[in-house]
Amino acid sequence: MNRRAFIKAATLLSVAVSALPSFSFAGLLTDDAKLTEEERQIFGKILTVSLPTEGSVLIDPKTLPVLPTLEGALLAGMEPHIRQGVRGGALYLSTEAAALYGKPFAELSDEQAAEFLDKWGGSNAVPERALAVGLKKLVLLAYWAIPDTWAPIGYDGEVSDKWGIPALGNTPEPQL
Amino acid sequence: MDTNNKNTLNVHTAASIEPGALTLTADVVVIGSGAGGAINAYELAKQGKKVIVLEAGPYVTSSEFKEMMAVAMGKLYQDEGGQSNTNGDISILQGRCVGGSTVVNAALCFRTPDYYLELWQNKFGLTSLTSEAMAPYFDKIEKNLHITPNAAHETSAGAAYISKGLNKLNIEIGNAKRNIKDCALTGFCFSGCKTDRKQSMLVTYLPWACNHGAEIYADTMVTKINTEAGQVTGVEAEVIDASNKTTKTRVKVSAPIVVLAAGPIQSPIILQQSGICNSSGQVGKNFACHPSLSVTAMFDTPINDFHGATHSLFVDQHTLPEEGGYLLLNAIQEPVEACAQVEPGTGQPYVSYMEKYRNSLRLITLIHDKNVGEVSIKEGVKKIIYDVDDQDFESMKQGLKYNARILFAAGADHLYLPTSDRTIIEKESDIDTVIDALKNEKARYRYTSFHPQGTCRMGADPTASVVSPSGETHDVKRLYIADASILPTSIGYNPSETVYALSSYIADQIIIQNFS
Repeated sequence: MNRRAFIKAATLLSVAVSALPSFSFAGLLTDDAKLTEEERQIFGKILTVSLPTEGSVLIDPKTLPVLPTLEGALLAGMEPHIRQGVRGGALYLSTEAAALYGKPFAELSDEQAAEFLDKWGGSNAVPERALAVGLKKLVLLAYWAIPDTWAPIGYDGEVSDKWGIPALGNTPEPQL
Repeated sequence: MDTNNKNTLNVHTAASIEPGALTLTADVVVIGSGAGGAINAYELAKQGKKVIVLEAGPYVTSSEFKEMMAVAMGKLYQDEGGQSNTNGDISILQGRCVGGSTVVNAALCFRTPDYYLELWQNKFGLTSLTSEAMAPYFDKIEKNLHITPNAAHETSAGAAYISKGLNKLNIEIGNAKRNIKDCALTGFCFSGCKTDRKQSMLVTYLPWACNHGAEIYADTMVTKINTEAGQVTGVEAEVIDASNKTTKTRVKVSAPIVVLAAGPIQSPIILQQSGICNSSGQVGKNFACHPSLSVTAMFDTPINDFHGATHSLFVDQHTLPEEGGYLLLNAIQEPVEACAQVEPGTGQPYVSYMEKYRNSLRLITLIHDKNVGEVSIKEGVKKIIYDVDDQDFESMKQGLKYNARILFAAGADHLYLPTSDRTIIEKESDIDTVIDALKNEKARYRYTSFHPQGTCRMGADPTASVVSPSGETHDVKRLYIADASILPTSIGYNPSETVYALSSYIADQIIIQNFS
């Protein structure tokens, strides 16, 4: 990927994840949305180094369908050109890691991978910052969107039905 | 005129509309069913006029709302929550459903400050928008939408902490007014109010409009406004089947009056696609959005700021431009929203941060910004070109400092700033040093905006504005615009009540100009 394409990919990625992407599962998981093995390894590495839960109260991401959520709920719902930007950005990150450490991102030690992501988050280059924030955000959203992750941090989720709150319905029209 | 008087919605959706072509006639066609569209639909239908409302988004009943932000994004928000500026560092959130942004906003209401009404009179020739002239409109919508100050119990755990800080610093606490009736304090305003407490257009003006015969077409995206000899004649639209995102039905509505209320992003795009109303060159220009940054405070003890009033307090001592140009608001948030709000550091620091998520709260700094952006569409791709102005960024820094002092006074142990890398304020004496070091850089901050505005500016001068003081466009007769795109400047406060009142005012102007 040349630098121009990389900047475009980074911008598209940051656009894609600047807000909370949809978890509607409305998008069909077409082959176009499925991660390649290389992409799966990159996102898997980001997940591993972002959430080293051993010794914590958080649920081990290995026990949760995080990458299927990433594919089925995030990538599948994106516009195709944005999805391509995400994938291009992930591959560029891996390539740049290889240039720095001599091996692709997925093969870095966890310490090296975390260090690399933090370095890009503080980079003076706009696309590097955008990619570090965007790729991590995608993975973290895919993890925390799974309701099983909430109880360990004390969050109880939906409440209206649980609390038995009645719906008021439409408000009557004002009368003169 | 048919009336149903059932106080229910008369909605056609992609599922119920026959494929092919559909031709309709009406006295008034309204584009958009949010604040501006719904209010005009009701006021004009009440005059006995046949009103058709076209809404690009889906019809989702409140019983279908899911109290999960991530799910709501997919169903109720523009671009499934993914709308942003071209640099991708400002998330610009708008509703896209029957009821528009009123379904997903936090219901916070402020009357337009006299400061701005006077500015608009003096600078934009809006001499009819005096405080006295607008007061009856504010009174009316406050009554109709149950806009009242929060009761004492309508607060949240986080707001109680922030109040302690404000009291300690002797800063006046603003008690929020909201268009909510008997709030259930779930904290899910941004996901839509499942139990109809929030007085959105979905449960107020839209069913009221239908009581007077109005019909709503959901899933129906307007592609063009038709004109003839400088006069509006109707619109063209497409009914989109959400299951495959293809056009199911082409719709043509003939009407002598069109009210454009698609919102500050879509309204200028529809005008651009139609090739109209741009003799001033101002369509799509002057975009502003009230960029906001949340400071996350970490405490030593659990706060559990998960439920309660979504917003309950504000601080506006420095909100007018000469006083600083920033507004502070508390807001609760769920973990999916919070999980990428700050950068504690990759790995163990992040895990430790989320383990203590229940010990955190956030205080938002929102700035009054200059109208420096632009909305356009090219080859079907929408562009929102906007970067935070350097001077506005200095206002943001002042607001962040004020914010941080309040949070430390509230008892915070340390603070996280929403930057791309790890930015922590460990103690109060570090506030100035840390925030002074911030530079206005792209993709450095995690901005959110709920308040796009300004892209079809109202003004008396047709060479410098799109819409006349009555709401009618300068270029096309009987085409009116009634949404936040007409605001001549940003107003520094949540603009929903301003839009409600201006829309009500414009409905009266339509009646006076056409039906009297």
